[in-house]
Amino acid sequence: MNIYQPQLVTVVDVIDETSDTRTLRLAFTDPALRDSFEFRAGQFGEYTAFGAGESTFCIASSPTRKGFIECSFKAVGKVTAALREMNVGDTIGFRGPYGNAFPIDDWKGKNVVFIAGGIGLAPVRCVIWNVLDRREEFGDVTIVYGARSVEDLVYKRELEEWAARDDVRIVTTVDPGGQTEDWTGKVGYVTPIVEATAPSAANAVAVLCGPPIVVKLTLPVLGKLGFADDAIYTTLENRMKCGVGKCGRCNIGPVYVCKDGPVFTAAQLKALPAEF
Amino acid sequence: MTDQTDTRPDREGGDRCFIREADLRELTAELLAAGTEVIAPVAVDVCASPSAIASAACRMPGAAPIEIEYRALEDASDLDVSRGMPVLSLKSYFLPEHEALFCWRQHGTQIEMKQVATTFPPRVILGAKPCDSAALAIVDKVMNWDYEDELWNGRREATTIINMACPGIDESCFCTAVDLAPDSTKGADGLLTPVDGGYIFEATTDKGRAFASEHKSHFCAGSGGEEHRGRQADDERAAARARVAGNLEIDAQSVRDWIDTHFDDPLLAALGARCNGCGACTSVCPTCHCFDIIDEEEGVGKGTRRRCWDTCQAGKFTLHASGHNPRENQGARYRQRLNHKFAIYPLKFGEVLCTGCGRCTRVCHAGQDLVEILAAIDVAARRPGAPAETVEAVSDTASADTAEATP
Repeated sequence: MNIYQPQLVTVVDVIDETSDTRTLRLAFTDPALRDSFEFRAGQFGEYTAFGAGESTFCIASSPTRKGFIECSFKAVGKVTAALREMNVGDTIGFRGPYGNAFPIDDWKGKNVVFIAGGIGLAPVRCVIWNVLDRREEFGDVTIVYGARSVEDLVYKRELEEWAARDDVRIVTTVDPGGQTEDWTGKVGYVTPIVEATAPSAANAVAVLCGPPIVVKLTLPVLGKLGFADDAIYTTLENRMKCGVGKCGRCNIGPVYVCKDGPVFTAAQLKALPAEF
Repeated sequence: MTDQTDTRPDREGGDRCFIREADLRELTAELLAAGTEVIAPVAVDVCASPSAIASAACRMPGAAPIEIEYRALEDASDLDVSRGMPVLSLKSYFLPEHEALFCWRQHGTQIEMKQVATTFPPRVILGAKPCDSAALAIVDKVMNWDYEDELWNGRREATTIINMACPGIDESCFCTAVDLAPDSTKGADGLLTPVDGGYIFEATTDKGRAFASEHKSHFCAGSGGEEHRGRQADDERAAARARVAGNLEIDAQSVRDWIDTHFDDPLLAALGARCNGCGACTSVCPTCHCFDIIDEEEGVGKGTRRRCWDTCQAGKFTLHASGHNPRENQGARYRQRLNHKFAIYPLKFGEVLCTGCGRCTRVCHAGQDLVEILAAIDVAARRPGAPAETVEAVSDTASADTAEATP
């Protein structure tokens, strides 16, 4: 079996996050692989809808939850539209895990600040659960999450679950105009809400993921709050095909996002040409 | 894998011997008779092509009626030893334009996959251009860092490559500016150099030596005059190197450093201004290896996943699902091609991703000339304080009306 041939996975659950975003819970059809499969928070995979092709998503579930993996995607193209048609019991393909990971073990004893915009919560959610499942190893946990509208917020049940915990501080926001009458969260773009929330940079790391504009605007705000560039982590999801450093699509300067990334510190990003 | 350390044959080496013109044909015939695939340059009569486009192009003023292509020989007499430049490189024999990665068939909710072979029958390439064999050794690097591409490697291992020393083709050649030479054996197992009545042959890898020894009756039968012919070969090769070196002399390291450190330099943007993004350069390039992976359905419920050539010069190459495109204009895409070849790949893999074959220049409808472009960058790199006019003087044709070079 060559490196481009996927493993088969069975859809074991389907969760509609929004009208166009769906989460698939997947289990390897090979029971041995189901037990032995391991990955680290931040790694990604190539997901196959047979006949439509492959798409690249992070693994959105936490490595602390065994026996399955999850991916969340918005149906915008051929492959994601086909994946969205999948029902429980259907078979799709998976290649991975690929790429590097968030260095969670280095964060022991530190406060962790999570910032996400839109579907950018998918890779961050993996890290959030990883940290929450090892809660005692970390300090304060703060989550700032925003989307265009209330409808566009993903993982709504988990947002409520995190809000109900007394060991998590969570701030949710929607863009102006995106609120509903019963919306109790903030109204405003992610970046100013982060500034207003003002998480302490002392003994802290920040994990940031969202549309390029959110990342671009929020980085200087985190700097202003005192976060050093090497204490800010993000994950880039450039267009990829092979995922294994061959197809030449995801380069940013000398960096192959699929192999050298997708997780980068702000310090690493600043050393790259501004082409992402 | 081919031994890559030996890039230039030892001129005094004991592996040199004479092979007669007739022996080369007989060797080819013997290989074909044994069922071995022999790939070699073949002269193709374009005017006689069944393709209407090709035969129409043939009637254009100045069109070359004969094209040289690497083809699997049907008959030993088809072997063309004129040493012209094949239109396409050897790339497709190792990374086909499209190839199956696996096949699948659906049974209800279940999927059955069928693997493709990653081992291949032995084959021989005779008369490869040194710039084309070198490309394979260079691309070996990206195909084998961490994850190993078995399809590429399988074809590499199955293939014995005998180069033909190149006389230098035209003013677009610049192999000597990228640490290669018209008589390089990088990526090859042996080298033929034309001399009176035949060729001087040198094996440069164990695979090449085994090949020569297996076909001993044709190779190195010995007919006297080896010393004279050896000198003739040396002279021929030295002349070819000098000829190509005259096309472009650059300080390769400075060019690399300059591209690496001048991402936003107006010169780089200006150099891409004329490019219309057709991707012909990446298609004919022996080292461009970027690919797409697609599914091809074959009726209902079954199909084949394929990889096919792709090009960084196409706008959709990097387009995100969100609509965001990191390289949203042609200038950025042309810069990426230069950057990948002359800065990224050397940084990552220690080699320039270019063999100086000149095909990109010859094929470009817009007149992008890599010799001119590298010369312009070399000027900028050597003279960081030079006034803009100096750079423009060198790059004026390349950068047309948009040059605002201020290094």
